Amino acid sequence: MLQKKICMLGAFAVGKTSLVRRFVESIYSDVYQTTVGVKIDKKIAQTDDREVALVLWDLYGEDDFQKTRWSYLKGASGYLLVADGTRRATLDKAISLAQRAREEVGPLPFIFVMNKCDLAPDWDLEPDWEARLAALNWTTLRSSAKSGEGVEEAFLQLTRKILAGS
Amino acid sequence: MRQLIIGPEREALRRLRERVANPSLRTEDVSEVVAESIHRRREQSGDEALSAALSPTIETALRESVRKDPGTLADALFPVMGPAIRRSILETLRSFLESFNQVLDQSLSWQGLKWRVEALRTGRSFTEVALLHSLVFRVEQVFLIHKRTGLPIGQVVAPAVAMQDPSLVSGMLSAIQDFVRDSFHAEQGQGINRLQVGELEVWIEDGPYAILAAVIRGVPPRILRERMAECLEDIHREFSERLERFDGDTAPFAAVPHVLSCCLDAKFKEEPRRPRYAYAWVTGGLLFCLLGGFLGWREWQFHRWNQLASTLRAQPGFVLTSFGRGNGRFTFYGLRDPLAADPLGFVQAAQLNPARAEFHWAAYYALDDAIVQQRAASILAPPPGVTLTVKEGVLRLAGTPTAKWMSDLRARALLVPGIRGVEIPLEISPERLSFSETRDAVQNTVVKFPLASATLSVSEHNSLRELSAELKSLLESAPALHTKVRVEVVGHSDTTGAEAANQNLSQRRADRVASELIRLGIPAGALHPKGVSSAEPVRPEDSDANRQFNRSATFHISVAPGL
Repeated sequence: MLQKKICMLGAFAVGKTSLVRRFVESIYSDVYQTTVGVKIDKKIAQTDDREVALVLWDLYGEDDFQKTRWSYLKGASGYLLVADGTRRATLDKAISLAQRAREEVGPLPFIFVMNKCDLAPDWDLEPDWEARLAALNWTTLRSSAKSGEGVEEAFLQLTRKILAGS
Repeated sequence: MRQLIIGPEREALRRLRERVANPSLRTEDVSEVVAESIHRRREQSGDEALSAALSPTIETALRESVRKDPGTLADALFPVMGPAIRRSILETLRSFLESFNQVLDQSLSWQGLKWRVEALRTGRSFTEVALLHSLVFRVEQVFLIHKRTGLPIGQVVAPAVAMQDPSLVSGMLSAIQDFVRDSFHAEQGQGINRLQVGELEVWIEDGPYAILAAVIRGVPPRILRERMAECLEDIHREFSERLERFDGDTAPFAAVPHVLSCCLDAKFKEEPRRPRYAYAWVTGGLLFCLLGGFLGWREWQFHRWNQLASTLRAQPGFVLTSFGRGNGRFTFYGLRDPLAADPLGFVQAAQLNPARAEFHWAAYYALDDAIVQQRAASILAPPPGVTLTVKEGVLRLAGTPTAKWMSDLRARALLVPGIRGVEIPLEISPERLSFSETRDAVQNTVVKFPLASATLSVSEHNSLRELSAELKSLLESAPALHTKVRVEVVGHSDTTGAEAANQNLSQRRADRVASELIRLGIPAGALHPKGVSSAEPVRPEDSDANRQFNRSATFHISVAPGL
């Protein structure tokens, strides 16, 4: 079977672990668990023509106290970049993380996900945020780990992108 | 001109067109190159595309073949199926037997019981508990992890071990390796080579492209580390190029688990020697011998008493109805003739303890010849010199019995229980005996006469009357005894006087007695009187008293067989 290592990148508390849980086990938990370093999960994803075993490395969300351990990104085939729509700063963080990732391990396929779309009315974002990302040539999706919206889609798109690139 | 220049080309083009348009010609063309082109295609771009293209057709063809005649495919697969099925069955049986043996071994001991309780207490399976206790070490899982991606390339797992997801274990192990390296700024190639998690140890062997990780329960030996290193080197030697190019596809690494399996090692505790078992064996053996000896002795005793019972059964005068053992005594029930031998005598003869014998006899009349003979002897009381024998119930006599005893013997003998007949030899028949006695009596009779006289006195008259009765019985019984009797009446005289006168006197004395007997009813033909004067004296003439005996008449009875 074909296996691919995928990392979850994003600022602290944007919902990376919740997205993984939603994708892997299809259960959402409100209890937030601070990820310590990294947590690894696995999911068999069915793309158009083949099955791929996705090994998901859920990296610790970078904050003031702990930096992302870039060595975890080594060997990954791609990553999911996550930001929180209710916190404007997480988008900037995502942009800088993507920049840093390119520096660390070179260009990798990735998908950007604006999470917590179930709270869209409360989003605190500049109106042109999507245009800004489009200018960077990013693939952008909206998702909600709580409702499940866009989660499967995000991982599948990433898988396709990885398979297309390899 | 044009025709000249392009004529041949046109002609060639026409032929080509025709060829392309004609399917049968095209088929022919393709058939020439189809094998070659498949071969080329495979060389150029590997098997995958070609296989993918061909597989639906092959699948359909197989399905069609099975639908038409399953036999063809079955025949083709037969040599493969047999061994495969056998191997699978053998494998299943072998693992079943192994676990069955172990369970039997362990469930019947005290230790097994303890483990069972522990299994109940901890909620683990009995097999697991038994394994953990008898294990020195066991390599439970071996992973080959691609170093760069942290993805598993291959893994092997020991039988009956719950397998962790290799992706997760591999991921976590490489994450931990990375974490530690980052945290301690370790050089590449340095890192954790041993982790301890409760009862489990993880040994990690680091290589250029891949990491070998073994999950071990218990205390592994040092040599395992070397074996792991060798294994990892083998893998790098064989797969280095593929490891370098690894992109998540494990298909080219199908042979890896086979290489890894050399690290799946285990060692179990040896059963400690238990010397108390030796004592148990010796004690058990002794007890067994004692018990065997006792039982053997008992059986021997019983055998001897049983032989005694057989002896008694064979004895005349005994009927043994039951024989048994109880409370250390041997009991005999049956019938015994009072004349039979004393059973205690047999007990002593067999050298058995008479105190252990218990006889319960009911009296009866035995009809065995020996007993009947004894009985006859005790009832009939034969005189000395007479023997009685009994054969098949018939009494036989031997010896010289008296006529008196013999007189009603036959009747008396038939009253003795067990006597069915009496056989008396002719010479001692009561008739003959009384005949002889009478004859003797007659021959001993001396009829005395006065001196020089042939006149009978009154007393001699009387004695002649008695004698005549005896003579009569002799004469009468003679025919029954098949004899002829001749009675000579012999007249005697003493030596005094002239011989001629004595001859005359003796003749007259004989005639006188004969005539008197004839008068008393004796047939004259039976009597032969003769005078012998003093030629045959009855007694020697040495006294007057004896001389008197010679003035007499006597009788001589000769018996000859006749009739």
